[in-house]
Amino acid sequence: MANIAEQRIKREFKEVVKSDEVSAFNIKVELVNDTFTELRGEIAGPPDTAYEGGKFKLEIKIPETYPFNPPQVKFVTKIWHPNISSVTGAICLDILKDQWAAAMTLRTVLLSLQALLAAAEPDDPQDAVVAQQFKENNPIFQRTARHWTCAYAGGPKSDKELEEKVVSMKNMGFDEHKARVALSTKDWDVTRAAEYLIS
Amino acid sequence: MDGNFSYDPAKNYDEDTMAQQRAIEKEIAESQSLIGSVLSFDDIVEEYAKEDAVYRHKVEDLKTRYKTVRKVRGDGNCFFRAFGFAYLERLLTRPEEYSRFVDITQKSKDKLLALGFPQFTLEDFHDVFMDIVSQVKSPGTVEKLKETFNDQGLSDYFVVYLRLLVSGELQGNEGEYLHFIDGERTVKEFCGQEVEPMGKESDHIHIVALARSVGVPVAVEYMDREGNKCNLLSFSPGEGGEGGQEAQPSLFLLYRPGHYDILYPL
Repeated sequence: MANIAEQRIKREFKEVVKSDEVSAFNIKVELVNDTFTELRGEIAGPPDTAYEGGKFKLEIKIPETYPFNPPQVKFVTKIWHPNISSVTGAICLDILKDQWAAAMTLRTVLLSLQALLAAAEPDDPQDAVVAQQFKENNPIFQRTARHWTCAYAGGPKSDKELEEKVVSMKNMGFDEHKARVALSTKDWDVTRAAEYLIS
Repeated sequence: MDGNFSYDPAKNYDEDTMAQQRAIEKEIAESQSLIGSVLSFDDIVEEYAKEDAVYRHKVEDLKTRYKTVRKVRGDGNCFFRAFGFAYLERLLTRPEEYSRFVDITQKSKDKLLALGFPQFTLEDFHDVFMDIVSQVKSPGTVEKLKETFNDQGLSDYFVVYLRLLVSGELQGNEGEYLHFIDGERTVKEFCGQEVEPMGKESDHIHIVALARSVGVPVAVEYMDREGNKCNLLSFSPGEGGEGGQEAQPSLFLLYRPGHYDILYPL
């Protein structure tokens, strides 16, 4: 079994690395060690989305039963998205669970994740807080997601107003990331965010 | 897990659930062969309590038409594995039918590629599938075939390709199947949800599609709580069976709710 998984990943790895199509979509896979059980992926945020310009790193673990069971994938780069946990990076995507098929590849997974960034499914959320904001206050969601892309994924567009709010909370003595989470959760209301962190 | 459970936001509970599911699969795997030995109906009847008159009666009914039964592991792939094994076992003694099957499955790869299946993985599954099929070319043996089908990796490769054949048949003839799909889904969605993933159980539509895609008539004895005889359904690969001559089934399966095994006629 383990042998099948390894052979398959070796072949897939070459395929993804050399594929022109893949480089055009801005997805990457690299080895973490020489066992082929752990890989590092990267996808570029799709254009015309709040993730544009960001590079998102992924942790990819290959189970012994691959390709009959899906790879285990999570975001290493922090991201604000209804189907991805803002805390753990865990992903809610059907093909990584019960709709995985052995004919799919790492390439399928990376392209599907990129598609997920372009089209969230808030009715099947991984992060309930983000999903609620997405549905009830979409303009704030878009600004928040863009701000996270800039703060964690090297995205270009900085949002001065939001940044200043993070700085002001940092000056009150809060940890930067915790402050950003609290502000994001409380729709960028500094008072409510501070209460949230103290309680 | 200890008694005072507290939610740890840094932990991925999905991974836990999946690990647990794999543990269950492993337990089933250790207690049941993918393809078991041939059993008599007396062995089967032992599975039912003395007072379970309905099932006992139906086993008696089966005895009038079949000599033995071969058990297949209940892992959601049993229809495909049972079909694959039973049909290849039949081909061991039928060289002409073997040639027909090789021909049709050789050609199937290009059909699937034309439907947009990814070449990279499709070729891999097709190659292994054809390798396994070639094992029944004379002088193949049932023992060797059984050994292959009990090798989890090879056996699963075979199942994957049969699943792809079903998906290809359904997607290639979408109009004919659309009305048999429940829920508001397209044929492609149905294939993505119920056909291509491993472990998804098979229904009539899977059987019809597989029978047609490889031109193999299948008969299934349905053994449930209704009536006092098993209900035999034939799935013919021919176009719209009405009035036409039903082809003699190439293989017989026994269906008990949620599971398929192989039957050997008298």
